[in-house]
Amino acid sequence: MSSSILLLLILGLGGVAFIAARARANLFQPIDGRRAHSRPNYHGSYVLLWAVAPALLFLTVWSFVSPGLVMQTVLTAPAASQLPPPGMERDSVIAEMQGLADGSVATAFNPAAEQLLPAYKIAARHYSMIATVAALLLAFAGGGYAYTRLSHGFRARTRVERVMMAVLLGASLIAILTTFGIVASLLFESLRFFSKVSPIEFLFGIEWSPQTAMRADQVGSSGAFGAVPLFWGTVFIGAIIAMIVAIPLGLMSAIYLTQYARPKVRQWMKPLLEILAGVPTVVYGYFAALTVAPHIRDFAMSIGITSASSESALAAGAVMGVMIIPFVSSMADDSLTAVPQAMRDGSLAMGATTSETIRKVLVPAALPGVVGGVLLAVSRAIGETMIVVMAAGLAANMTLNPFASVTTVTTQIVQLLTGDQEFDSAKTLAAFALGLVLFLVTLLLNVIALRVVKKYREAYE
Amino acid sequence: MSKALTMNATDLSAAAPRLPTDWKGDAIKKRIAARYGSERRFRAIGLFAVMLSAGFLAFLLITMMANGLRGFTQTEIRLAVDFPKSALMLDPAALKGFNADQALAGADFEGATATAAEVAFGPDGVHLLSDAAWLKVRDAVKADPGLLARRAEIWVPAAVDIDVAAKETGEPAAEATLAKLKAQGLIKTGFNLGFVTGADSTDPTIVGIWGAFKGSLMTMLVTLVLAFPVGVLAALYLEEYAPRNRWTDLIEVSINNLAAVPSIIFGLLGLAVFLNFMHMPRSAPIVGGLTLALMTMPVIVIAGRNAIKSVPPSIRDAALGIGASRLQVVFHHVLPLALPGILTGTIIGMARALGETAPLLMIGMRAFISSPPSGFTDPATVLPVQVFLWSDEVSRGFVEKTSAAIIVLLLFLLAMNGLAIYLRNHFERRW
Repeated sequence: MSSSILLLLILGLGGVAFIAARARANLFQPIDGRRAHSRPNYHGSYVLLWAVAPALLFLTVWSFVSPGLVMQTVLTAPAASQLPPPGMERDSVIAEMQGLADGSVATAFNPAAEQLLPAYKIAARHYSMIATVAALLLAFAGGGYAYTRLSHGFRARTRVERVMMAVLLGASLIAILTTFGIVASLLFESLRFFSKVSPIEFLFGIEWSPQTAMRADQVGSSGAFGAVPLFWGTVFIGAIIAMIVAIPLGLMSAIYLTQYARPKVRQWMKPLLEILAGVPTVVYGYFAALTVAPHIRDFAMSIGITSASSESALAAGAVMGVMIIPFVSSMADDSLTAVPQAMRDGSLAMGATTSETIRKVLVPAALPGVVGGVLLAVSRAIGETMIVVMAAGLAANMTLNPFASVTTVTTQIVQLLTGDQEFDSAKTLAAFALGLVLFLVTLLLNVIALRVVKKYREAYE
Repeated sequence: MSKALTMNATDLSAAAPRLPTDWKGDAIKKRIAARYGSERRFRAIGLFAVMLSAGFLAFLLITMMANGLRGFTQTEIRLAVDFPKSALMLDPAALKGFNADQALAGADFEGATATAAEVAFGPDGVHLLSDAAWLKVRDAVKADPGLLARRAEIWVPAAVDIDVAAKETGEPAAEATLAKLKAQGLIKTGFNLGFVTGADSTDPTIVGIWGAFKGSLMTMLVTLVLAFPVGVLAALYLEEYAPRNRWTDLIEVSINNLAAVPSIIFGLLGLAVFLNFMHMPRSAPIVGGLTLALMTMPVIVIAGRNAIKSVPPSIRDAALGIGASRLQVVFHHVLPLALPGILTGTIIGMARALGETAPLLMIGMRAFISSPPSGFTDPATVLPVQVFLWSDEVSRGFVEKTSAAIIVLLLFLLAMNGLAIYLRNHFERRW
């Protein structure tokens, strides 16, 4: 029996159990004028849980255990006697046999796989039969046990609610699990990388060419993993060029919209600017590579920079800056409006013009919030992938020339992990080490930014 | 500042009594004019910044529109195929039975189309047509086997350079050919139905976005089914039940951090955990959906908590007061009232996931997939990744297709955000 049918069957049993239990609870008569402790629906849900949960739990555990059991049976079958000794070769035969069984492989390359197939099929059917019977028995037994417990005074609601609370807690634990998964997977792979390449070389080396040699005599395939040029490229594009575009535009937009614009204009312009943050980054990347980059190169050529690349840092950085504008402006907006009205009124009453008030009173007062916003924007910019993948280059240069091509951490992660890859090579593992650095840096920036913003909020409350 | 003030005060007490300010004096007038001038300049700079930012947006959208609208049209050439004279050894009767597909597959439509093109347009005729023109001829024959008995005229897609020449300025040679074809009335430009119903291809004249679109829909479905319940339940727990202790703080901190982790990190997680550890199929919507669900869930939790927080405590007190349990209070009263806000946040999170590319590249969704996925474990691609893949193609015909795909993506995002705004304005209650 296929697993989806079994699943439907168990859920159907649960439904029947629910209806039966509810019908029974409906018949409970008030005793001494007191109604039953729980409403019929809770009695129904209680029996439903008992019918479905143990069976599903069993099936989940079984799905992890059964492949091993099936394999054990297959290997003791007479056909398995001619299998190669345990190792790569045997694994490949077994994988092929499984492919034959589920239909993903049409004809076996290895004759042994074909001979083993009948034994495998029998064993698989045998164990799936056991699973079906056991799961259905569990469903019936659980449902039956719960059904016999129902009575006038039975506290079904309390029990059902306890299960619900566990589900709620479980849902919120998934966030911790995800964080743990990220940290664990990045750390684990990075440690394997650092066993091949020393952390010192990775963090402080200035040569990046991750192509490891196929042959010893190959040219230009030294396999150097010095990530400093990548860090520089990331900082140059994300934290310097993008911020030169985003900070003035974002800050001045926020000032104009909060201090000068009429409410109607503000009501329309603010969401309009936020669209900039909602445009998918792949669209920005395409725009940067196809429309902006050629213009920037032509401009550089016209002012006499002959080495200008069509994948310039400036194109990627400027477009990224445009994308970041709404982040800066909405953080600045929040902190400007959080400055107490009394400070503004005081300054205006002393005869300062609006712009003087803004420059001398509001912006200095809102500065921590603005700085926090800028830090968040930087963390967003250095983690941004598609714009740099499409518009920045792959050459790991350490240059101050914005018309030259630089590469970034995220570009290299994409570059290392797409295309042909073997999972154990230093080249692939390097991507995880870069990911770890990126994760830690963005985490640090976020923590600092949130702390700055929080401190500042406390100052005015 | 205060130091300057006190110094002024001591100066004043020492010096002669201060004269009233001469507001009519030239020096003061000049100073005020300068201050007002700087005020006007500052205001103008602010307006300029807003206009520039909005201008970028307008420029971006207009560029995409200008390039992309052409992607929805296609230039076709009327090709006369003389089936009886062609080398096509096909019996109309064979196309009626069970073996129709086999018979079609065995026939040399490619050769027949090339011959027909040579007859119609000279020795170089075949270069006027798209490489995939013979597919159209085959489809026409399949639809109407009766064609085989006579000479038929079939509209087939034009080659890329003719297509480009018809829509904008192309190469001079292509323009000349185009003018000649136009004079003979053999060419037309119409809506490209294949773009809406087809899948990826190596030939820009027959590519379509349905494959990527379907992949996007399936991925989003997986994301929604996983992230929405988990996100809502987690938000309810944290806002309504969680005791204030170290564990709760840990959960809160990790949710807030996850919302700010770069998306590519989620791609690395998906690659390491789902593909390499759990051995799930590469490029499949289910893996993409799982990865994006992990990314979207924190957004839903944060939006959900804000929505739940805004439900006034009096409602909880009233429900508790008439004997509801704590769980009943939340599921019967708080959740329904907070739902519009939660849905708004969910749609915004889903819109972000729909436009996401980087994590999906990590789990292998950049493969060339020429047919739409038929299940959640089939290899698939999604719209933004399709845009990325097409943007890498060298053929000039892909430029407009890429922009057209971007238009579809942006329209979809616009619709989702519009829905979110509608929900916010019409269902969200303010207390």
